[in-house]
Amino acid sequence: MSIVIKHLSFTYSAHTPYERKALENINLEINEGDFLGIIGHTGSGKSTFIQHINGLIKPQVGEVEIFDIKLTPEKKPKVNLRKLRSKVGMVFQYPEYQLFADTVEKDVAFGPKNLGLSADEVAKRVKQAIEMVGLDYEAVKDRAPFELSGGQKRRVAIAGIIAMQPKVLILDEPTAGLDPFGKEQILNLIKYLKTHCSPTIIVISHDIDEITRFANRIVVFNDSHIAYDEPMQQLFKHSRQLQKMGLDIPRAVKVVNNLRARGVDLGEEIVTAEDLLKAIIKRYNEAHSTDIDENAGIFDMYDFSQKWLTSEQREELGLITRKEEPKDEKSHKVGKKFGLKNDKKIKPAKKEVESKSKDKEDKE
Amino acid sequence: MAVTLDNVTYSYNIDDSHRIDAVKGISLNIKDGTFVALVGHNGSGKSTLAKLLNGLLLPTSGEVKIFGNSTLDPNKIYDIRKNVGMVFQNPDNQMIASIVEDDVAFGPENLGVERDEIINRVEWALSKVGMLEYRKRTPFKMSGGQKQRLAIAGVLAIKPKILVLDESTAMLDPRGRSEVLEVAHELNKQDGITVIHITHFMEEALEADRLIVMHDGRIAFDGTPREVFKNYEELKAIKLAVPWETQMAISLQKAGIDMGDGIVNEEELVDRLCQLL
Repeated sequence: MSIVIKHLSFTYSAHTPYERKALENINLEINEGDFLGIIGHTGSGKSTFIQHINGLIKPQVGEVEIFDIKLTPEKKPKVNLRKLRSKVGMVFQYPEYQLFADTVEKDVAFGPKNLGLSADEVAKRVKQAIEMVGLDYEAVKDRAPFELSGGQKRRVAIAGIIAMQPKVLILDEPTAGLDPFGKEQILNLIKYLKTHCSPTIIVISHDIDEITRFANRIVVFNDSHIAYDEPMQQLFKHSRQLQKMGLDIPRAVKVVNNLRARGVDLGEEIVTAEDLLKAIIKRYNEAHSTDIDENAGIFDMYDFSQKWLTSEQREELGLITRKEEPKDEKSHKVGKKFGLKNDKKIKPAKKEVESKSKDKEDKE
Repeated sequence: MAVTLDNVTYSYNIDDSHRIDAVKGISLNIKDGTFVALVGHNGSGKSTLAKLLNGLLLPTSGEVKIFGNSTLDPNKIYDIRKNVGMVFQNPDNQMIASIVEDDVAFGPENLGVERDEIINRVEWALSKVGMLEYRKRTPFKMSGGQKQRLAIAGVLAIKPKILVLDESTAMLDPRGRSEVLEVAHELNKQDGITVIHITHFMEEALEADRLIVMHDGRIAFDGTPREVFKNYEELKAIKLAVPWETQMAISLQKAGIDMGDGIVNEEELVDRLCQLL
């Protein structure tokens, strides 16, 4: 068991006129390997909940146990929060607003540096993380984060978290505000991280069709409580109740429910577009005595899910930024734009890391 | 004509020798009272276009006219800004007062409107967006959808003829999005306000009278949403998507099931499937 939450309650602005209950007696176990989706309308308590998981909020009532670290309302014993946060990585909403360093490399290095890792290890992890989010390390490392596009910035922000190699990765609305293509890229990235970086992933999203693309388990928050905690394929038996809570249900489920109301029953457990395609083709074959392959329907908004690692196709899909001009000139230009003098030109972070490790060696 | 663009180009200067053309020679007419959806991937130039409409940006070449007045004419810019109200993406960045009615009154106060008239307008604007009961409350504790509706009320109090929503639904949850869209459609239908709604959500574009797709600073498609969505291969190629239901019909069609043409919503998809199954 990675995370165990027992009897957790939380109230904002307690004992004031603004008092508001955010969580009430939450009990939940999150297992290693879970791909957990959390849904619930605004104000249902889901954000308050996840902030407990990496110790941003201390429990008021109840306890949160993450691996072997226990968070309780008591002040003692003191909890090693740094250790906790190296295990639980949190990508906030609009994480690109939190980029702050003058180069991509420095920004991504901030987390691992604070974990107290050696300079070599930091440099290694930074390179790995930047490549993992699908950016070309050499092309972006010395660039200022704000020169990048919105989707690229978000990937840099995610790289900053996964460079800490967390065992549990939490993403709060990871695709909010992106265009459809940017959304696809992030969704594919999350799937990739599940197998290559963090074995347990928790995603909060308002878009149920997004959650059902990867989650194997969905927790529904409603009015400070957990309303449902079900395997993904089972949850939408409660469609009507979910809609009553003001939540969307997957489009495929809507279509299935509508068809059922009109006398065409495609069966239970259809949640994703792929499920629906299969069921329709199967039924069509039965009705028309045809022999169409049930897997012939491909729901390809953009067909690049299988093409992750060939660099040519990555480039084609814009996952790698082509260098348009020499890097040095670029960093020079940034300096100029912000009124920095030439002698304060942004130095490549790598040199700094190298020289620091050199210092260390010298001392030793 | 509410909006006329005549061969408009806008370039951002990066430095003395580098320029990026965000809008490239666009010509466009928008009739008074139309609900226009404007879509395009990030960097396609749609937000630049929006800012050209009320003179926040001035065209590098060409001319933007609002009800016949050019944004290049310094004597008309005040009128233009009164006529073109803009609501932006982030609901938290657009509140200036700590009480709802003060926030809505800010616009007309700055235009020197009479006190009695301001009171009328605030009341009218808040009731238009369904927020009148919140008039004495503080905006900071509200939901994103409420804040965006309040931002719309603040713009309405200036009595604009054109409302530009620059990705105003992007940061909202589904409930907030439908609240804002409902208000925009009502203002369009009941008060005849021209709405230009910039969005990434294709299903929001479906409800519009006219859908304009931008790509690389130019207009790639312009027509009714139904017409535009027929070009799904091209839309994908420029990093846009078609509505989910359309994609479903296309996928079935490709698998060998005759889905007919032009399915854009759930009702049409279910109707066709009922015929087939």
